Amino acid sequence: MARTTLKRVHGYLAEFDSASDVYHASEQIRDAGFQRWDVHSPFPIHGLNEAMGLKRSILPWFVFFGGAAGITTAFCLAYITQVGIYPTVVQSKPANIFTTAAFFPIMFELTILFSAFTTVFGCFALMGLPRLNHPLFAAKTFKKFSDDGFFICIEARDPKFHQAETRALLEGLGGKNIELVEDEL
Amino acid sequence: MSAHPITLDDLPRDGERLDLTKVSKLNGLFLVVGGLGLVASLAYLFGFLGKDKQAEFAYSWLFAFFFFFTITCGGIFWTMLQHASNSGWSVVVRRLFENLGSSIGWMAVFVLPFVFIPAVQDALWEWIPIHREAAHHAHQEHISTYEALHHMAEKDHSKHILTSKYGYLNMSFWYVRVVVYFAILGALAYFLRKWSIQQDKDGSFKHTFRSRAFCCILLFPFALAVTFSAVDWVMAMDYTWFSTMWGVYIFAGGAWGAMAVSILALTYVRSNGYLHKVTSGEHYHLMGKLLFAFTVFWAYIAFSQFFLIWYANITEETRFYILRNTGGWWYLSHVLVWLHFAVSFVLLLSAGRKKRTAVMNALCFWVLLMHVVDWYWLIIPERGPSLSKGTVFWIDGAWVGDVIALLTMGGLVGWAYLRRLSKASLYPCRDPRLLESVTATN
Repeated sequence: MARTTLKRVHGYLAEFDSASDVYHASEQIRDAGFQRWDVHSPFPIHGLNEAMGLKRSILPWFVFFGGAAGITTAFCLAYITQVGIYPTVVQSKPANIFTTAAFFPIMFELTILFSAFTTVFGCFALMGLPRLNHPLFAAKTFKKFSDDGFFICIEARDPKFHQAETRALLEGLGGKNIELVEDEL
Repeated sequence: MSAHPITLDDLPRDGERLDLTKVSKLNGLFLVVGGLGLVASLAYLFGFLGKDKQAEFAYSWLFAFFFFFTITCGGIFWTMLQHASNSGWSVVVRRLFENLGSSIGWMAVFVLPFVFIPAVQDALWEWIPIHREAAHHAHQEHISTYEALHHMAEKDHSKHILTSKYGYLNMSFWYVRVVVYFAILGALAYFLRKWSIQQDKDGSFKHTFRSRAFCCILLFPFALAVTFSAVDWVMAMDYTWFSTMWGVYIFAGGAWGAMAVSILALTYVRSNGYLHKVTSGEHYHLMGKLLFAFTVFWAYIAFSQFFLIWYANITEETRFYILRNTGGWWYLSHVLVWLHFAVSFVLLLSAGRKKRTAVMNALCFWVLLMHVVDWYWLIIPERGPSLSKGTVFWIDGAWVGDVIALLTMGGLVGWAYLRRLSKASLYPCRDPRLLESVTATN
């Protein structure tokens, strides 16, 4: 396949020795005011969210409304069919609003189902998934991120990104194998 | 994030000890209320205020007893759970659970009227006077109590079920069970607290391992003790009624209330300047999550019990709910649905709210209020119909006894709890998982 020569700078990727190094580096980068950057680690690091200055995800709100939609759907579905359109008399119980207890299992189920769906798909959407490739996959050292490598990538689209200064910042924080990752267009 | 990560050197080596003089106001109030209440309660219980009042107060005493008994069992349960699951996060708050569970000694005192005052037994459990009558006939006719009961059942078929249940529901076994329940629960509360305090002094790991093995072995007997105590003392108020979800329902409410009490106790000692180094909003969040879990668990069990009985619509089972859906009790049933569950659920949903101590505090008072309502709803509807042989639904003025019983036990148990807190460090200061607990994050 013919390779184009057109390339776009994705950002700087720096490797760190340990979880603690990457944690402290994150605090510095957060305080330097960067917005578009990320940490890659083989395992979750406690407190990293605060160290990176990440805001709380909006996802819980999606899930709340997903669940609310679920419970409403189930109630309407059961009530309209079982009480409104075709009143179903079982064991001489009345078919009215007080029959709602009989609908609770399905209301519960659909609440769970809808909120689980919004969790999964909302999470995918917020992470920008699915996608076929990521520029970082082209970086030389990046494969270690799923084994023993701790990485920080500051992206070029960050307003504070500077070709020389950002590199110097990462070096100053103890970053090794600093690489300018490029994205082939 | 702190500049340097916290280490054991930052913590006081011998833990923190509650100074009773700092909490003397609340503790004095507890003692005065409990003491005055005890005088009134004894007057009721021994029948100095008349036989009617005595019978009515028996229900008040049972209601108050179970409110505190379930919370005490909850305290034991939370202690056991932390040991059995080898939880690291909970070490700094575990002593609060241990001290709460140790109220079981007081509950063993409060249970005595049920054991030693026949008028109280007769008022609460209809099967007991019937058995007494049978025993009387048996004595006269030189036959066994069971046979005498059988003769009585031939004249009155409603009593027949008592002969079928005779193997379980008989007086001697009932007394044995009272002792067994308190032996199991008492041993748990006593040894877990004792070993934990010993570890404060010698720092030996063996206490941790010993407690873990002890809890794993006794989890099952604990569950049986809680379940069958609720069966013997509450479900047996109507010997014809039964529900297999009963024990779980009682347990769920108790664990819920115990967590609320522990959060309140944590806030209270913090407000007096203790535990600031070892606990943070994270611990509130973790405890709040368990509170939330048990809000849902209680509702799940409560609804399942109602739903199965309502759906099946079998006469011998529906009685319980028919009574509680009649007259004013209908409103209380709805309080349980909407305020016990729905409001608590929505308010506890947010993570941020669980970390804010002031909000959690208010919520825990709410939880305890709802636990009172739950127990009022479980016990008191039986009082009118039982004492009047089905002619009276609600006994006017008997609520005074309910309040007195609740205040009496609350005062005495609260007073003893604060004193117990001051007897040892407020957290297990040499537990091997202490640092893990101090730095716990969600």
